[in-house]
Amino acid sequence: MSGRLAFLYPEIALFVATCVVMVLGLSRTLKARKASAWVAGLGLVAAGVLAMASTPRMGQASCPISGFVYHDGLTPAMGQVVLAEMVPYVKVMIAGIGLLLLLTMAGTVDREDEARIAAGQAVFDPLRSNRAEFYAFVLFSLTGLMLTASADDLIWLFLALELTSLPTYIMVAISTARNRSREAAVKYFFLGALGAAIFLYGFALMYGGTGHTNLNAIAQHFREHGVSTLSMAGVLLAVFGLCFKIAAVPMHFYTPDVYEGAAPQVSGFLAFVPKTAGFVALLLIVGAVGWEYAGHSAGVTSLFAGDGMEPVKHAAGGRQLPELLRLTLWVIAALTMTVGNVLALLQSSVKRVLAYSSIAHSGYMLVGLIAGPVGSTFTTNGVSAILFYLAAYGVMNTGAFAVLAALERGRDAEGHVGEAESFDDLRGLCASRPMLGWVLVVCSLSLLGLPPLLGFFGKLPLFSVGIAAGEIPLVIVLGLNSAIAAYYYLRLAFTPLLDAKDEGSAAIQAAPFKGRAVAAALSAAGVLVLSLAGGWLMTKAAHAGAYYPSAPVKAESAPISDEPAPLPNDVHE
Amino acid sequence: MIGLTSLAQAAYPEPMAGATLAHYLAVSAIMFVLGLIGFLTRRNLIIMFLCTELMFQAAGIALVAFGRYHLNFHGQTFVVFILTVAAAEAAMALALIVLLFRRKESLDARSWEDLKG
Repeated sequence: MSGRLAFLYPEIALFVATCVVMVLGLSRTLKARKASAWVAGLGLVAAGVLAMASTPRMGQASCPISGFVYHDGLTPAMGQVVLAEMVPYVKVMIAGIGLLLLLTMAGTVDREDEARIAAGQAVFDPLRSNRAEFYAFVLFSLTGLMLTASADDLIWLFLALELTSLPTYIMVAISTARNRSREAAVKYFFLGALGAAIFLYGFALMYGGTGHTNLNAIAQHFREHGVSTLSMAGVLLAVFGLCFKIAAVPMHFYTPDVYEGAAPQVSGFLAFVPKTAGFVALLLIVGAVGWEYAGHSAGVTSLFAGDGMEPVKHAAGGRQLPELLRLTLWVIAALTMTVGNVLALLQSSVKRVLAYSSIAHSGYMLVGLIAGPVGSTFTTNGVSAILFYLAAYGVMNTGAFAVLAALERGRDAEGHVGEAESFDDLRGLCASRPMLGWVLVVCSLSLLGLPPLLGFFGKLPLFSVGIAAGEIPLVIVLGLNSAIAAYYYLRLAFTPLLDAKDEGSAAIQAAPFKGRAVAAALSAAGVLVLSLAGGWLMTKAAHAGAYYPSAPVKAESAPISDEPAPLPNDVHE
Repeated sequence: MIGLTSLAQAAYPEPMAGATLAHYLAVSAIMFVLGLIGFLTRRNLIIMFLCTELMFQAAGIALVAFGRYHLNFHGQTFVVFILTVAAAEAAMALALIVLLFRRKESLDARSWEDLKG
């Protein structure tokens, strides 16, 4: 029990900080309310340190694929073991990028009220202030994200995913005072509830097919008995439901509208937090199914593998997902990349471009999920590629959104503060505000994947694992899409370097919050430092992507049997 | 692994003679599909929310039926948590809907179309 708790110290620290922030939200003075941001930051730092320092080591990284070795008394009762190594990596990444996101959140709510109080035109009204609650929602969402990474049970996974997304709906609604934020929140909430219902039904069918909700037990069941049709239907539904979280194709419609309607800093939050939750959950579920199935030669028959009542069995030397699952993910990945990139070309709003490109980036990462851990090095392990790309995308995307958050237009007719939205608004930024301008240049070029920058090191392993797994057509689609993305990312990178138009960017001014500019600067610094010291992060990601397919499950943690357990007599009527 | 037609557990007292797992799953699947169709076709915000609730509870029925079939309690445990989450979602949905209604005095999703591109 205490062993299990040791894995959860980061979440516990974060949850305690959340509770403190919530209580601060009840205080009667503005000073105490303003402390909530600092408490939130401290909580994230503590969670990151705990995830780095005290998370017990799981398994041995040197022996992926060949079999699982118990290490330091690890038992499955302490968490899922198939992708056990990714847990501390993901948590440290969440804490780090969470801190950047927290910095961008400065002044998101209560801005008008606090400006009036500072000007002496109003007195502080404890009932009208939402500041602490907003930070509590940020922390709740990040806690849910960390819990997603620790999940070893479908029930836990469902609750963690819901804890991640429920606060984000409210954050979108209250992020600006304008009607379009409300509209964005309602769209986001309704599609979110739909996605949750779909993956929940998938979880129910997975439980029905295996008789277990524990992910270790499910993985073991799939290994021993194959993936039955019922379980496969469950896995596919779960994948479709999680497509909402990662903004992949059948469930991507909301993304541009929601990112446009929410404040830019909240859009940046949405681009990292739910996406990471979705990918971690996908890794957990697809990892339980495993990548050791025989490939079928191309042909119509392969479409129907697993369609009869025969379970899809493991194959000796097999190196891919079950054909049906592979094909589904293949189509989702190809469509997601293409739709995201092509529609991004047609946009005039920077936020919508970033939203569509966020869809495309999910498509890129799905290549790593399809390939899976072909080998154990960074360039041959799809899981490592995803984990590295999530961190890289988190840093560079937060930078881009932080620049948008650090800029604003004058007030419109209704008295709402405008946002820097169109490309024209960004013209001349490098001349008028060099720091923000160059941050945007660096982050856009990195998002494009230009060679010396971080994004390139993220995309490279996606290509190499795709080739290693033999997914040549998908790699070609990936290459073509990277070329399409170059068009709009170069446009975004060069707009700040152009001369300012007279009326366009004259109205643009810096937002009066230092935190947002600091977050932008830190993100760009992160991109540059990680580009130079990328080897360090690659080693960590390669280590974190270790895959232990033949994890034995101890009898005391989860009884494994295909037959239903005998019913105790006293339960009968 | 599971023959869908003969799923009643042998030697277990049946509350409804003849009702097998397949019946429960059929009800659950019908509820799920009805919810999905309703969500995609109706434009009243409250009806749309009720449709997602229908889909949640469809999953609940499937879980309880599977729990009975496998004779363990994981399914029922799951359902307790689903009910809790559904209650939290309902609270939030109603809050959001009230917020929108106060702005436009309408529950029609089509009256909210400012975001386009």
